[in-house]
Amino acid sequence: MSDLIVVESVSKRYVTSSGPIEALHDVSLSVGAGEFCTLIGPSGCGKSTLLGMLGGLVTADTGRLLVDGRPVNGPDPGRVATVFQDAGLFPWRTALENVEFGLELQGVPRERRRAVATELLGPLGLRDFAEKYPRELSGGLRQRVAIGRALAIDTQIILMDEPFGALDEQTRLLMGEWLLDIWRRTRKTVVFVTHSLHEALALSTRVMVMTARPGRIKRVLELPMPYPRAMESAEMVALRATLWSGIRDESLRAMGER
Amino acid sequence: MRVPALRAAILVLFLLAWEGVARTANPLLYVPPSAVLPAFGRLLALESYPDLVPSLLLTLREILVAYALAIAAGLGCGFALGLNRTIGRAYGPILAALYAVPAVVWYPSLMLFFGLDAASKIAFGFLLGFFPITLAVLAGIRQVSPHMLVVARAFGARPLVIFVKVMVPAMLFTLVGGLRTGLALSVIGVIVGEILGSRSGMGALINHAYGLFRTSDYVALVLVTLVLIVGSDALASLVERRAQRWTD
Repeated sequence: MSDLIVVESVSKRYVTSSGPIEALHDVSLSVGAGEFCTLIGPSGCGKSTLLGMLGGLVTADTGRLLVDGRPVNGPDPGRVATVFQDAGLFPWRTALENVEFGLELQGVPRERRRAVATELLGPLGLRDFAEKYPRELSGGLRQRVAIGRALAIDTQIILMDEPFGALDEQTRLLMGEWLLDIWRRTRKTVVFVTHSLHEALALSTRVMVMTARPGRIKRVLELPMPYPRAMESAEMVALRATLWSGIRDESLRAMGER
Repeated sequence: MRVPALRAAILVLFLLAWEGVARTANPLLYVPPSAVLPAFGRLLALESYPDLVPSLLLTLREILVAYALAIAAGLGCGFALGLNRTIGRAYGPILAALYAVPAVVWYPSLMLFFGLDAASKIAFGFLLGFFPITLAVLAGIRQVSPHMLVVARAFGARPLVIFVKVMVPAMLFTLVGGLRTGLALSVIGVIVGEILGSRSGMGALINHAYGLFRTSDYVALVLVTLVLIVGSDALASLVERRAQRWTD
């Protein structure tokens, strides 16, 4: 079976006022259909850049990216949807209208897109909030609307750039459980960026640890255990230690660079 | 409940004070409200100024044309300067410098260019209305969060769609505020233009009454003009409130 997402020796350099910064160096990876693949690494390791490339928002300097065998050439809402750390909802649209946004751009007729969005609100836990505006929603609910907006266009792939990064820890844990549930129901392919060891281990089928800048894939952890995972089990605690030892050095290096 | 009462109180107090002062001073200069009321009646009955209606219509027409031109040019310049970095950096400072000049200094040259009739009033109303609209567009564009534009792009929005579905709604409140200020200033421009020199329109009537010391007629004419101004602003604020409800 061929991989749904293929990244081949991709590099990216940014030019800033204080000189060029190499964000990514020769990164290669592949993600199979239905995987929940997590990128984890220190701040500034280029994981968001990589995700931006997969979403067609950032161009690679070298190398190539394939989604479903075709090269990525700009945003492609037919195949890839993105959820950002800052929900980025449109404040003049209700929750329901925000969920409809992508369908509206695709020219789906009003009744049809309303029906799709309304049906999504149930599992999103937003049924009572359809007519609320973003400012009336909590951070967690806003992020659910953003995830709903991504789910509505029904792409094979969903990219998530630290979607729960701005939430408090308790909300974060609950949102993780909820996302797992959604993912297992829809069987989408998820590429997830996070700082959180817990999130990576609780959610992913595979975790890729990235090095400090310039970002490279340092090691890959396969996590075939079933869900929901007992995070206090000896196995998970050991995995957590392994994962942390891989990230710790990189985080130290990233801190030292500042 | 208490607000209208307080408002009425200050009005009554003001009128009483005015009446008192006018009666002790020269009534030709400080015409008392009791004398304005009959003058107002004569004006509305078209006795003192039979050409009140055509004058009012002329002024209204000048305002409408001036405002329409100010909207077209203000939106055009604002978006050109705000959306194109090169144009913005080239012409932005010039615009700011021109805005700092008291607009009334341009009026004599406008009269020379456009003559004493409607054209010079329209030009002045346009000039006053143009700046707040342009500046509101520029401020509005700066308010649009770049993140929202990225989100729209990620969902496949093309530049025109981003403009219509993201930029305009995101800046709408500021934009409508600028349009409201623009209207107020276009009205002021036209009326000031008429008062500074004209042969017809409300400003010309005001000049006439004032020049002949027909002070009570003069005050009555000012009252009619005031209704015009307050009315147009009330309409604009209604639109503004609707836009506000829609945006946030």
